[in-house]
Amino acid sequence: MSNRSDHQSFAEALKRRVLEGRGETETTLRERVAARAAGGPPLEPPYDDLAHHIGEAAYRVTDAQVTSVVAATGSEKAAFELIAAAATGAGLLRWQQAMRALKDLDDAPR
Amino acid sequence: MRLAEIERGDSFRNRLLIRFISFVSGMRLPDAARVAFYHKEFFSASLSAWTQAAMRGPSPWSVGERELMAAMVAKWNSCPFCVGAHGAVAAKSLQRPLIDAVLADFRSAPISSALKGTLALLETMTLRPSALSAGDTQEALRSGATIDGLRDAAAVATVFNIITRYANALDFAMPSAAEFDRAANMLLKRGYAS
Repeated sequence: MSNRSDHQSFAEALKRRVLEGRGETETTLRERVAARAAGGPPLEPPYDDLAHHIGEAAYRVTDAQVTSVVAATGSEKAAFELIAAAATGAGLLRWQQAMRALKDLDDAPR
Repeated sequence: MRLAEIERGDSFRNRLLIRFISFVSGMRLPDAARVAFYHKEFFSASLSAWTQAAMRGPSPWSVGERELMAAMVAKWNSCPFCVGAHGAVAAKSLQRPLIDAVLADFRSAPISSALKGTLALLETMTLRPSALSAGDTQEALRSGATIDGLRDAAAVATVFNIITRYANALDFAMPSAAEFDRAANMLLKRGYAS
């Protein structure tokens, strides 16, 4: 039995909790926000601006983008869930790409 | 900090805790810790568990090397808070001049070939994830990295591609260099488990 960390299980647990688990926001909205931050299709305002910026250039997120999402969702906790979902979507995209590149090693010429 | 509830705490217990830790440590509790207390069952519990495993679990990489990888992901994602926080932890074991050299240009910095090759992989993973291929992993393996080492490094890069994004989206307040240094001692001692 290996004592190495099972990163894939941690990745799946994070996805289940943040994108599919209970929260103040609908899971479908969290999943769409996560997909948008990972390069997926645009969302309706005001979610699109925030999700897209978190995925592409989070340092460019503005006060107005966050304030608009707080107003649309009705609470800071709900807005936080969407920020967490977007960040998780962008991060897990990178995890999947890295694991695919490692798996493809088996098939690549040495 | 763009969300006032995170700034002050979302329960009476957390508000007391934030004030108490700030008082005892003699510095404002960093926003990273405030987020860890906030809506905990939703986000920080599962993210903290993975972060602790990636940063402190068994790995071919030292704690200092993993903290340096975190600081580099923060640099590529333009997150000054995380560059400061994790550069300070890395400097505890790898020395400040080396951290600064890697942050300035890891390809010319005096680090191992394996670490250099792994950072090149993490740079592509962070900035151009769709371009990542088996060729990148082969290149990293040729530099001396191992499959286990690359998997562990990818986990570090993943959690910090998440953390840097919410740190920037929430506009984390910047501590001073001295405060980062004190917080680094706490991160080394206590790790990331929430």
